[in-house]
Amino acid sequence: MTSERMLCPVCQVAFLLKEEKVPGKRVVCPVCGAVLTLTEENGSWVLRRPKDMSPEEEIRTRVENFARLRGYHFNEMKEPLIEALLKKYERYGDFYCPCKIDNIPENVCPCLETRQGSVERNGRCHCGLFWK
Amino acid sequence: MKSVMLYALSTCPFCKMAKRFFESRNIPYNFVDVDLLPEEEKEKTVAEVQRISGRRAFPVIVIGEEVIVGYDELRIREALEK
Ligand code: SF4
Ligand SMILES: [Zn+2]
Repeated sequence: MTSERMLCPVCQVAFLLKEEKVPGKRVVCPVCGAVLTLTEENGSWVLRRPKDMSPEEEIRTRVENFARLRGYHFNEMKEPLIEALLKKYERYGDFYCPCKIDNIPENVCPCLETRQGSVERNGRCHCGLFWK
Repeated sequence: MKSVMLYALSTCPFCKMAKRFFESRNIPYNFVDVDLLPEEEKEKTVAEVQRISGRRAFPVIVIGEEVIVGYDELRIREALEK
């Protein structure tokens, strides 16, 4: 079994995948918590966003994974923020930060500043989804 | 009474909390949901927000001369009382 560097299509960070590769296998990105599906395309392995999950399932699982990976907590702001992220998805096609105007890759939740430690610095992420 | 301006996004929970804060205390305030503005006005307003706050994130609250970036109840209260 060889480990391979795989690119996360959500946070665009490459990580080492040590698990055995089986088509359709669920993988969690260790950087952003995204749930991904291992897929074979043109003879090479790639990670794709899950096609068999509803947007709501996808974002809920992602933020729960991310919180678990980092040891962060949620509070009563979680549900309004999940709703807001789904609204962004509906309007702009992805889970862009509900509190930022720019619907760009670095603002896909969990956004770049959060992945770079803003929760450690401020006690919470900008929107108040993740808390230390 | 100091002038209060709230720059908000319609999707942002802290922006809603800021609106509720002013409403529940009957504090007169102006607000704009920047994401719902027509394109040209949106760009102008975002540029203004960026100029005063250094960021393109919301809410941004201007009380008198003071600019409060993010929802910070303590700072809002202090700015209102000053
Ligand atoms: S500030 Fe929080 S809720 Fe907004 S995108 Fe970043 S991590 Fe997600
Ligand atoms: Zn990722």
